[in-house]
Amino acid sequence: MSKNKYLLLISSLGVLLLLVAAAVQENFLREWRRVQAGGRNEEGAIAVQLRQVVNPGLKTSDRCVSCHVTMAPGESTVTGSKLLTAHKPVVHDPSEWGCTVCHAGQGQATDRADAHGDVHFWPDPMIEPRFSQAGCGTCHAPLGVPEEERLARARNTFARLDCYACHKVDGRGGMTRPDGGGMEGPDLSRAGINDYDHDWYAKHLQQHQQATTGPWRNSFAAVNDLDRALLADYLATTMAAPKLIEAKAVFNSTGCLGCHKVSGVGGDEGMDLTREGEKDPGQINFAHLAGGHTVENWMAEHFRSPVSVVVGSQMPSLGLSDREVDLLTMYMRSLRRKDLPASFTPKDRVRATRFGEREFAGDGATLFGTFCTGCHGGNGVGRRSPGMPSFPAIASPDLLGRVSDDFLTENITKGRPGRRMPAWGELTGGLKPEEIRKIVVYLREIGAAYQPDGKPVRWIKADPEQGKKLFASICSGCHGSQGQGIEGPALNNKVLLATATDSYFVQTIGQGRRGTAMLGFLEPHPSRPTLSQAEIESIVAFLRTWERGKK
Amino acid sequence: MSVATEEKKEQRGSALREFWQNLKSTPKSFLDTAFRGGAPRTDRTRSTFVFGNVFFHLHSVRTHRWSLRWTTTWGLGIATFAAFLITLITGVLLMFYYKPSPDVAYQSIKDIHFVVPTGRFMRNIHRWAGNVMVITVILHMARAFYTAAYRKPRQFNWLMGMALLVVTLGLSFTGYLLPWDQLAYWAITIGANIAASPQEITNALGITQHFDPGGMQRLILLGSDTVGPEALIRFYLLHVMILPLVLALIVAVHFWRVRKDGGLARPADADRRLGPAKDTYPIFTEQPKKTYQLAAIVRGRTPAVGNGPEGTVPSMPHLFYAELAVLMLTMLICVALALIADAPLKELANPGVPENPAKAPWYFLGLQELVSFSAFMGGIGIPAIVLLGLGLIPYLDREAAGTGEWFGGPGGKKLAWRSLWFGLGAVLIIESFVIRFGWLREWFPHIPQLVITAINPGTLLTLAYGAYSVWCVKKYNSTRAGAMALFTCFLCGFLVLTVIGTYFRGPNWVFYWSPADWPGH
Repeated sequence: MSKNKYLLLISSLGVLLLLVAAAVQENFLREWRRVQAGGRNEEGAIAVQLRQVVNPGLKTSDRCVSCHVTMAPGESTVTGSKLLTAHKPVVHDPSEWGCTVCHAGQGQATDRADAHGDVHFWPDPMIEPRFSQAGCGTCHAPLGVPEEERLARARNTFARLDCYACHKVDGRGGMTRPDGGGMEGPDLSRAGINDYDHDWYAKHLQQHQQATTGPWRNSFAAVNDLDRALLADYLATTMAAPKLIEAKAVFNSTGCLGCHKVSGVGGDEGMDLTREGEKDPGQINFAHLAGGHTVENWMAEHFRSPVSVVVGSQMPSLGLSDREVDLLTMYMRSLRRKDLPASFTPKDRVRATRFGEREFAGDGATLFGTFCTGCHGGNGVGRRSPGMPSFPAIASPDLLGRVSDDFLTENITKGRPGRRMPAWGELTGGLKPEEIRKIVVYLREIGAAYQPDGKPVRWIKADPEQGKKLFASICSGCHGSQGQGIEGPALNNKVLLATATDSYFVQTIGQGRRGTAMLGFLEPHPSRPTLSQAEIESIVAFLRTWERGKK
Repeated sequence: MSVATEEKKEQRGSALREFWQNLKSTPKSFLDTAFRGGAPRTDRTRSTFVFGNVFFHLHSVRTHRWSLRWTTTWGLGIATFAAFLITLITGVLLMFYYKPSPDVAYQSIKDIHFVVPTGRFMRNIHRWAGNVMVITVILHMARAFYTAAYRKPRQFNWLMGMALLVVTLGLSFTGYLLPWDQLAYWAITIGANIAASPQEITNALGITQHFDPGGMQRLILLGSDTVGPEALIRFYLLHVMILPLVLALIVAVHFWRVRKDGGLARPADADRRLGPAKDTYPIFTEQPKKTYQLAAIVRGRTPAVGNGPEGTVPSMPHLFYAELAVLMLTMLICVALALIADAPLKELANPGVPENPAKAPWYFLGLQELVSFSAFMGGIGIPAIVLLGLGLIPYLDREAAGTGEWFGGPGGKKLAWRSLWFGLGAVLIIESFVIRFGWLREWFPHIPQLVITAINPGTLLTLAYGAYSVWCVKKYNSTRAGAMALFTCFLCGFLVLTVIGTYFRGPNWVFYWSPADWPGH
């Protein structure tokens, strides 16, 4: 019977021991206790206690400051280990706004791995520090961002015109210089979201004319219209997040909206990206991913080669540089949405969601970069991606020289039914007529002008039967037996047939289109038969039969 | 006048003295009043200690030495009760911080986990004690079965035990939803769908619109069509109020019947087997104060009649040491597990993103495996057959041989082994066949559902087990042998199906050798 007594003794001692272990773990071994133990302020050691930033409006209670104490309310003087350093100065003071609203992660957690979100089942891990500015996208919608090249030009213009002499932007400029030039003008880091005086130029000019010496005289000079437009573009984008703007400019040069929607604008081919930055790592398939299992790495690898990360992906391989991959990843991470109370919703977001203001600049180059380059390539050179029909080179002079602006406008507006080209004028979240017009103008800028041959729209009177035979033997290999398109474009397309002139077909068949697989059939070629002008006309007559046959 | 004053003074003085004396002796008299009958030093006061105490008086004052052998019970019943007490205490502590509303439930668990002092520890203990309780209650039932302890006069207590098993599973299941994370949400969705499984029959008959018992059960369980705020408050109330009260009530009856049915079952010749007690206490050193007239109205044989008191020892302290030791051991196990592994908490429940695979709590995964063959049979049919079979055992087996002995009765240990091999073999063969070749639906896509409901791996397995048991009844010429065969097969089936459901079923309930092979991970 006494063995029960010993069992009782041993198990009681065991329980006692474990309770002591639990107490030690709870009271001495927690990471934040060790971090805080090293903390000092002007009055000496700081109290070791759980700390948090609570913001009821944002629904955050962030205990991150239990380790990052210096960012807690009223603790800005605490120093100690590397963790106990102050946040770099930002508009949104972390001691008021908390941490997770910008950086993501798990605010309620008090352990490092849990808090940073590098754990199973936490759907919103911290944004990688090098992409921190992506956090701005949680609330802000950067508006009016141009494509990459224009943004670079706009930024250079600001520097070239020496605006930095007086104005500070993102910590640069706005200093009185030893040579007497420069002064402290308004900080323009957030001019894009806080708005600025749009009459600035007239006022600057007046000051310049009145001044006889000093910065107003020496550092300012008249600015031409083009530069002023570039400056306006630049100022519209300033929101103290230059890297994010740069990232968005790359996005606006890569043509992603051609297939994807963001905030209701864009094509329907691909996934809606509006909340892509909140992608839950638990729902991501990491099976085919080399490298770390992080959201950022998945996105980066996916940009490098979509089909090797997502089996069966219909996204073309875009041939991006490492810099572009990084910036696009950052922009993707910025596509986040938090349900904000009205008082916290910034003006730019209101302008975008309530008033339908575009999140990209309105010039033709940006529109083309935002919507078209994904498929048609930068400068409209076309794109070939393994396993997909090639995307036409629309800036080819062989196309632009043979088609009118109406043809281009109509084809963009109505798209190519059955193919991946959507009807941009009819699509929900598509382009406005004004925007389509700008794209056509831009195409003419990078391509060639229309050179009409003076013939009427429909002038061919040939025998379609002969054309049918020729089409079956020569054309159907690329364009399909019914003209439905295989490797080459679909020719039975109603929009194409309705808008293209007979001359367009004859010239394209006869002379080909440079930059594509379509070679001219009038010239002899070792690998394919040569066609006579009459034969070409009969083929065109055959193409026209589809117009009547299939409605 | 002066004499009177003098007397008064003296009286005053004596009262003060008395007051002082009383104050000094208060601790002793407090103990005397707390423990009626004084310190338990003699057998008599030990007896008073037991029957004079509200908590102890459910125990007999003397306990048979057979009951105190570790191998008799392995302490499983007390361990189950200990686990219940642990969940009760930690559960009440958790209630201080837990908020049963979908908007804040998850956040409050996060707070308990990360901020509330000892919150994580308490939640871990609660979770582990809950699981320990499910395991020990099953093992306790197995112990009672294999020692044939369900026989007369304990038939009814076997039924009480089954009720406790069901309530324990109910407690664990209702607690599963409370964290309101993905795991909880989808496990309860699966559980509720199992409750709606009669719809398989009513759908096949086309009468669901008019008569829908499955949908009714589901609606009663969830209070709504889907798992939502109504379900959460329902589960919360069941978990913290209704089921604990029901459990406490049945436990009281269960304990009471253990005592009244003559303590733990033991072989008729237990005294002879134990031999003479080594340190025999002088028995009844004093004339007992109590008369035993009360014994006359107790039905049946009183435990002491016909058995020499030398086979028994005072419950205080021998039984209480044993019980306390089991309690502390259970506590040790729960606390140790709590320090080793945190209770799971996945992401916030999201009705729009189903878990794949969505799995019920582990003890229902055997059922879920059966449900994957046929919802009705897995969810209602086979569990009903099993419960009915278990409940009938004490009323069908009226033999006497082997009571109180492990694997007692005809066949003995050898039959238990044979049944184990048969039980494992049958379930493994049927499962392997289904996993390798599929079942009727894969071969004949248009086969009526009722055929599959009737003929599926689950019903075939039940049939095989049943046939084997009948065969055992015949071979050993004993109902007990048949019961032993059936119960062993039931345990094997439960174990294998649960393991397959837990470890080898992946997305869309497809078989995988390891979660590493799951697509998308």
